[in-house]
Amino acid sequence: MVSLARKNLLHDRLRFVITVAGVAFAVTLVLVQVGLFMGLLDKSTVTIRHASADLWITSHNTPNVDFARTFPETAVLRARSVPGVERADNLIVAFMNIQLPNGALEGALVYALQDFSAWQLPWNVPEGAPEDLRRGYSLLMDRSAALRYGAFAVGEQREILGRRFRIVGTTQEAASFTTTPIVFMDYRNAQELQETLRGNTTYVLVKLAPGADARAVQAELKRRLPYNDVLTRDEWAMQSRNYWVKSTGLGMSMGVTVFLGVLVGIVIVAQTLYTSAVEHIKEFGTVKAIGGSNLDIYRILGEQALVAAVLGFALGALFSYLARPMMAAIHLNVLLTPGFSAVVFAGTVLMCLGSALFSFRRVASIDPALVFRT
Amino acid sequence: MSEKVLAVRDVTKVFDEGRQRVHVLKGITMDVARGEVVALEGPSGSGKTTLLSIMGCILTPSSGELELAGRRIGTTDASALREVRRRSIGFVFQQYNLFPALTALENVEYSLNVRGTRGRAAHDEAKRVLERVGLADRAGFLPRDLSGGQKQRVAIARALAGSPPVLLADEPTANLDTGVGGQILDLFQELAKSEGRGVLVVTHDPKVRRIADRLVGIRDGRLVADETEQDAA
Repeated sequence: MVSLARKNLLHDRLRFVITVAGVAFAVTLVLVQVGLFMGLLDKSTVTIRHASADLWITSHNTPNVDFARTFPETAVLRARSVPGVERADNLIVAFMNIQLPNGALEGALVYALQDFSAWQLPWNVPEGAPEDLRRGYSLLMDRSAALRYGAFAVGEQREILGRRFRIVGTTQEAASFTTTPIVFMDYRNAQELQETLRGNTTYVLVKLAPGADARAVQAELKRRLPYNDVLTRDEWAMQSRNYWVKSTGLGMSMGVTVFLGVLVGIVIVAQTLYTSAVEHIKEFGTVKAIGGSNLDIYRILGEQALVAAVLGFALGALFSYLARPMMAAIHLNVLLTPGFSAVVFAGTVLMCLGSALFSFRRVASIDPALVFRT
Repeated sequence: MSEKVLAVRDVTKVFDEGRQRVHVLKGITMDVARGEVVALEGPSGSGKTTLLSIMGCILTPSSGELELAGRRIGTTDASALREVRRRSIGFVFQQYNLFPALTALENVEYSLNVRGTRGRAAHDEAKRVLERVGLADRAGFLPRDLSGGQKQRVAIARALAGSPPVLLADEPTANLDTGVGGQILDLFQELAKSEGRGVLVVTHDPKVRRIADRLVGIRDGRLVADETEQDAA
């Protein structure tokens, strides 16, 4: 069957290129912006997902993992006494100042445990080992810190809250939502640094015994620790993500970005399809005169919109995937999952078909008698 | 008497233009027989294009009757009229109205697709009618690469595709030089005589008289003459 839709598209190549470029631009905008946002959100829960804790005990109403609040560290003893708990340990998460060699102060997000290996934290250690943290004032520093702190190497020393620490290794992918680098150190060292941490912790990590009923253990922990919250890993991750999405306006900002991307796509596709429809009005009149229906013409416009959607999405997705390594070089993670890509593809098709609707109204009113007008 | 393939009886057409009612056709009765070429002549604004549109089921008359191949087309339903156009009428336009993005062959094939013939059958039929109008060697050419006469032949091939019993042509030689126009008229005559189609040609061109079996004149929405070629001579 002859496709008048595709032939017309290829016949007017410049307009076709503009249409596809417009769709590709909108797709790239949405994929990269939302991918960046999802990458950031991914960071907001990166330690929750990697730690092998089944339950997290937090101070009451702690909004997210970075904004920790203290509570007495003896809570861990109560947690350990609950049937079904295999292991429970204190975890300190606290913002501290780190002094750079040039005298400047920068923020660091300190994670402190007594036994990191037991909780699979940190999860990616290219240099050194978590066990080395037990040797005096030592720390593991994430490689992303080089962007904020300048270059550093294992063996060098940095001052945190006036105390000199030796860098005994590096980690990777350990950065918070706020891009503040994560620094790992021994639990007792962290307590020594800050007055408010002495005798206190910020979280208790809980590992369940094999076969234990998570809900039952969670309920019992809540009963025994009435001034704390007890959350499963998924609940805690969700709460941390929701905080950044809802409380900071970032979710709204992303929504506006997506809306603008879609708007750009709709305007470009609708405008080019409509202009094309108007320019081909006599052809559509001829289609009607020789027996074609409005549906035949809708099919032509629909097929053109679909071709623009498929090619525009392919091009936009290609740009976005190519942008990932460049973004990764500056420690920005563009998170593009197959599921999200599929949603954007479906959205692109809907956007283009929706844009074609503007032209449908115009062609529906074509009088086939116009073929006799010169 | 020859079988009538197209006939109108006492047809009127009134257009509302603002507060005015314009009577474009005022009781027209005429017919076209199988194998006959009828030339419809008249000055601009006389109503000939409106009459052609009504006979081509593109416009509906305000009153009167239309018959196609002995069947009364009494409906004003747009989809039914479209079906009549699809099955029974081939149009040839003054401006050719070819699809510029399609080759000669594709122009004909697409018309068949619209009429419901698809795939190999449409392709073969398109080739056949292009051969019929002497353009087999230009099948792969885009309209922009064809001369005026060749474009009109493609338009005729498109009208012939699907073998409709009636061909309606609107000023088919207006944009062609005398020699090429003559060839196109010969082709119309041949299609009428050898294939038994009824051909109605709306024209200003006096050369159409040469091939017409009958001349019908129209002035101010009324027929003023209906005579055979011999009468006219």
